[in-house]
Amino acid sequence: MFKFNLIRSSRDIFAHLILIAFPVLLIAFFNFIFKGTAIVSEINGTPIPYLTVLTVGFALTFQIYGSSLSFETMGSDFFSPMRDRLLASPCNPRSLIISILTTSMLVSFLQTIVVLLFAKFVLGALLPSLPFVMAVMILSIVFHQLLGSVIMLASGSVKTANIIVSTYGSIAPMLAGLYFPLPDTPVILAVEKYLTPMALGKTAILGILENNTGQALAGTLPLLALTIGLFFLMRPMIGKVTS
Amino acid sequence: MIIHIENVMKRFGNNLALDTFSLDVKKGEVIGLLGPNGAGKTTCIRAIIGLIPIDDGEISVFGIHQDGKNKEIKRRIGYVTQELTIYEEMTAKENLEFFGSLYGMTKEQLATRSLEVAKIIGLEGRMREKTKHFSGGMKRRLNIGCSLMHDPELIIMDEPTVGIDPQSRNFILEFVKQLATKGTTILYTSHYIEEVEAVASNICIMDQGHTIASGTLPELIARIKGDAHMLIDVRIASEEKLKALRAIPEIKEVALENNQYHIIVPGGITIIDKIIAEIADQTIVNINSKQPNLEDVFLTLTGKQLRDEA
Repeated sequence: MFKFNLIRSSRDIFAHLILIAFPVLLIAFFNFIFKGTAIVSEINGTPIPYLTVLTVGFALTFQIYGSSLSFETMGSDFFSPMRDRLLASPCNPRSLIISILTTSMLVSFLQTIVVLLFAKFVLGALLPSLPFVMAVMILSIVFHQLLGSVIMLASGSVKTANIIVSTYGSIAPMLAGLYFPLPDTPVILAVEKYLTPMALGKTAILGILENNTGQALAGTLPLLALTIGLFFLMRPMIGKVTS
Repeated sequence: MIIHIENVMKRFGNNLALDTFSLDVKKGEVIGLLGPNGAGKTTCIRAIIGLIPIDDGEISVFGIHQDGKNKEIKRRIGYVTQELTIYEEMTAKENLEFFGSLYGMTKEQLATRSLEVAKIIGLEGRMREKTKHFSGGMKRRLNIGCSLMHDPELIIMDEPTVGIDPQSRNFILEFVKQLATKGTTILYTSHYIEEVEAVASNICIMDQGHTIASGTLPELIARIKGDAHMLIDVRIASEEKLKALRAIPEIKEVALENNQYHIIVPGGITIIDKIIAEIADQTIVNINSKQPNLEDVFLTLTGKQLRDEA
């Protein structure tokens, strides 16, 4: 079942093109424009190359869009005639959904790795403390896969989930200051660092890159709490769909 | 008894989908469930499989009470859905193996059985192709094959030939007959009368959620044996004339399809003059009488032509 869903996800070439090629192109594009620019981090004044911020930001942004991997697969299995065929089998439908979620997370993780490796080895992005960075990236992947699935299961519509996720995916990077600098006021700074889960991920990773444990935890712990919350929210929703 | 359904009631809001519906299916029987769209066939099937709860009555499958949770029942049923439920991005082999794996088959069993099933459904040379490149008929065959992987004792086929070419339809009908000779119990639903006539050893005609009649084909035809069936072709038929014909007290039933009136008169054609007088102004092209078939049984019992309803 896991293998089947993994092969199934891997054949969605269009999704891979969007989720790998787009961030890579955007990173390359912005890096070309602002090559050599170093920004001063808002966190504690340690300078971080702009390319690094771009890499982290776009990798996190496209994890939001990557949530469609799981909810679109779930939608095609459980909001279509396929549902009857699957539920007619003795297989536990919960394990089917978990299989879809885990394979989607794995594919999203592999996509993130490709983006990071491209930025590191082709563009020369500095990415120290990579294991910790990857840990936060994984947490962000888990969060967004669960988020998309919860929205889809709650709304009962893949289309609605797509609209909500796409809107969030467009706004979150702006609020996190990825596309353009935001005014340096305390309120905006708080929004930039903590308002969205994507911002939390970015804050955590920038904290790791700066060796600022407090900042890393300030981003990671709320994201972890939100992920756990979504996990518990997901349980009754799966039951509703599969019963 | 493989399936026992007794006085089952199922409502969807104000719509009574199954109305004191009863059905018994014995081992090795091929039962044709015939009815127009909305008759309750799919609801009946979904209730048998345990996909929907019933409001009242009793369903047992393989002698086990169906509460929707019993995995033993599910393990022994193969369900061919009305819509195509295969994964188009995956190959035929991957589809077969996936659906087999849902029934707990091992890797070795999946490999062996997928080859067997591929032969049965005539796709042995196409197993490594993605199904999105298949024709409609091939997809339908694979749709059936996926439900055969675990070698079920009972196969439930919900309109398995919808939207396919005659060649593939014949293939599927032959295949159902072959399965039947091996002793597999089959519940076959369709609104194509000739399909049910071709494959079913017993037929259950249902409409508006309940059984109108059931029995073997000869038994059902015997029920309307005394009736005469006339087919009158006119140049341009009309609903008004249809109503007028229905108003003739000696006429049991009239249906209209493609400028042809199908008129059922009990006890032989004794009122042909009345009928002709009623529709003479529509220019009669042809008049025929015919031996009753299952379609006539359906028309007589329900007052509807099955295909019009579909």
